Amino acid sequence: MFCYLALLPVLALFLYVRIIPIGFGFLLSFYKWNLISPRRPFIGMDNYLELLGDENFQLALKNTTIYSLSVVLLSTAIALPLAVFLSRKSKLSPFYQTIYFLPVITPMVPMSIAWKWMYDYNYGILNYVLSLLHIPSVPWLTDPDTAIWALVIMGVWKVLGYNMVLFLVGIRNIPTEYLEAAGLDGASDWQRFWRITLPLLKPILLYVLVTSTINAYNVFTQVYVMTLGSQSAPGQAVRMLVFDIYTNGFQFFRMGYASAEAVILTLIVLGLTVIQFTLAREDKPKEG
Amino acid sequence: MTNISRRSALQLAAGAGIAAASRKANAADVTLAVWTGYPELVPWYQAIGAEYTKAKGTKVTVFSTTLREHEQKLAAAVPTGTGPDIFDVGQILGITFIEAGLIKPNTGAVEALLKSGSYRKSSVDQFTIEGKTYGLPMLFSTPAMFWNKAHFKEAGLSGAPDTFQQKMDYAKKLTKFDATGKMTRSGMSLRLSGQGSGIAEKFRFILEPAGGTLIVPNGKGKYHQGYDNDAGRNALKYYIDAVQTDKVDDPKVQHDAAAFVAGNTSMLMREAWVIGEIQKQAPNLDYGVAPIPAWAGIGKKKTLLQHNGLWVNAKSKNLDAAQDFQIFLSSKEASVKLTQMSGWVAARQDVDWSPLLKEIPQYEVFVAPPKEVEFYPEPVMAAWNEIETRLADRLPGAYVDASLNDPAKLAAFIKAAAAQTDQILKQNDLYGT
Repeated sequence: MFCYLALLPVLALFLYVRIIPIGFGFLLSFYKWNLISPRRPFIGMDNYLELLGDENFQLALKNTTIYSLSVVLLSTAIALPLAVFLSRKSKLSPFYQTIYFLPVITPMVPMSIAWKWMYDYNYGILNYVLSLLHIPSVPWLTDPDTAIWALVIMGVWKVLGYNMVLFLVGIRNIPTEYLEAAGLDGASDWQRFWRITLPLLKPILLYVLVTSTINAYNVFTQVYVMTLGSQSAPGQAVRMLVFDIYTNGFQFFRMGYASAEAVILTLIVLGLTVIQFTLAREDKPKEG
Repeated sequence: MTNISRRSALQLAAGAGIAAASRKANAADVTLAVWTGYPELVPWYQAIGAEYTKAKGTKVTVFSTTLREHEQKLAAAVPTGTGPDIFDVGQILGITFIEAGLIKPNTGAVEALLKSGSYRKSSVDQFTIEGKTYGLPMLFSTPAMFWNKAHFKEAGLSGAPDTFQQKMDYAKKLTKFDATGKMTRSGMSLRLSGQGSGIAEKFRFILEPAGGTLIVPNGKGKYHQGYDNDAGRNALKYYIDAVQTDKVDDPKVQHDAAAFVAGNTSMLMREAWVIGEIQKQAPNLDYGVAPIPAWAGIGKKKTLLQHNGLWVNAKSKNLDAAQDFQIFLSSKEASVKLTQMSGWVAARQDVDWSPLLKEIPQYEVFVAPPKEVEFYPEPVMAAWNEIETRLADRLPGAYVDASLNDPAKLAAFIKAAAAQTDQILKQNDLYGT
């Protein structure tokens, strides 16, 4: 009983700063409101119906899905072998872990600005490196075809260290006896990874996939920074859902419409999470 | 005449002294909060604020963020009573506050100043809604054409172009490439990338002289698109030619004021604040400022007239002091300082600009434009930002889209963009033919 009572203040705070705003946002999605006016007419499902035919919303949904799939798959595919490699006992392992983890703790705005410089067509370091290899410069941000991939690269760079540390923790929790026994039975490194490490990492893998998907669908800061100013990415090429919500809510002051978009985003992320959990459960080995 | 005893006289004098002291103490107790979306105006607000404190005792604090954040902060703070006493914002957002009753109609000295003849008629009209005036015009945002005299001389060109077609010809002579064919200097710097309403606003710099406009009023308070026509198609073709055919600009090279200041472009259409940037960063730059060119065959030189207003928050606890400071900020002396300190052109017209023009003649086009120049104002409607931004979303992709060299595809693009403009007007119950 005491535990529940002790949790009450935190629960109340969570209710106040999280649940109530989400509920208010959901309610707002049925109204037309410009944030400033005291008038707030109820319009039922109109915002949702309008969203169905909104080209910008559809484009944002498509771009966000491409971005999220790419970032989640690439960051997982790179982080896992990195974690396996760094789980081996080595003096340099902590150093590399720190290096890979640094982007996770670095604030997004300055990093986005730094990446914008790195992507600069004329003076950016990436094109400088390409020039050393006699590869033509790439208009990373200003070309509508490459801009989204520039964001994907930065997105992978940002989450790679976080995913790697999670995998590393999972790998270190696998009892060494299993791997040693497999080794004695003649299993190769690849077989030990595929048959023992990966199946036992499944809960961590699921966690990584769920959190990465949620984070990727919420991408905003780098889109905002990299489309700011005349030397930046074309807005439509990198239009993402949260950016579209921000534009509708805080540039056009269409709060009801933006709230409807936010509700849809929540449902998408929730749906993807449920799918991931369901798939993981179906593969669970039967006991007994 | 009534005789007053010595004691009574002393009592009266003491009373008057206490009253005066308490008035002074009251003024000193008041602190006015000013919010601006133009960080470059902060030194000006602070300087005028210091003068006001010296004169009246009232303190002034100034808070500034970027324009977009400023608008968002105002939208959240003013309705909830946590906003500033005075703020500056464009007419487009100002109208939303007026409709919500958060800016009250002008009265007394503020209204008298607005109607005193110190402002252009178009300014007074913009700040008048249904017969009532609101706020005071503070500054203009009007573009003109900056041209690099050294580049022109080097290319054998004697002066700024008069028409857009001439401008393209000049730009071809001014553009430079390196041995690999990479552009190193653009002939003209257009707004080709990024996001936000500014892209469409700059598209209008060409669309309007070409004879088009984004929206056309029907005279009954409604509007419809005005660019699914030759003017709209010609303006877009101009951009596409500049990037794809004539190659006088490229999204990959440096753009905007930074490019002009650095000598990386020869021509730029921008507002007066660029002069301030040049003074700070490249004081030796040899440049001129000319009116925006005309469209050959139409011949009128047209330029945008955007107002930024100075508004008093109706929920301010210091309404009288705020209105008094609003007038103080709008004085002739403060107006000259505004332009001198920030580069923006003050909206007051009864100002002696000669000392400023003697020092920086490039201001002339902005403060005393030639009579031939026509101004097209910004429509005062809350949906305007959405109309411009949605068009702006489409344009950067179009500028580099090779398929739009096909006139049919270009026409289809303009038709679709214009249909979206009409759709936004319909959603806001503003559509009418």
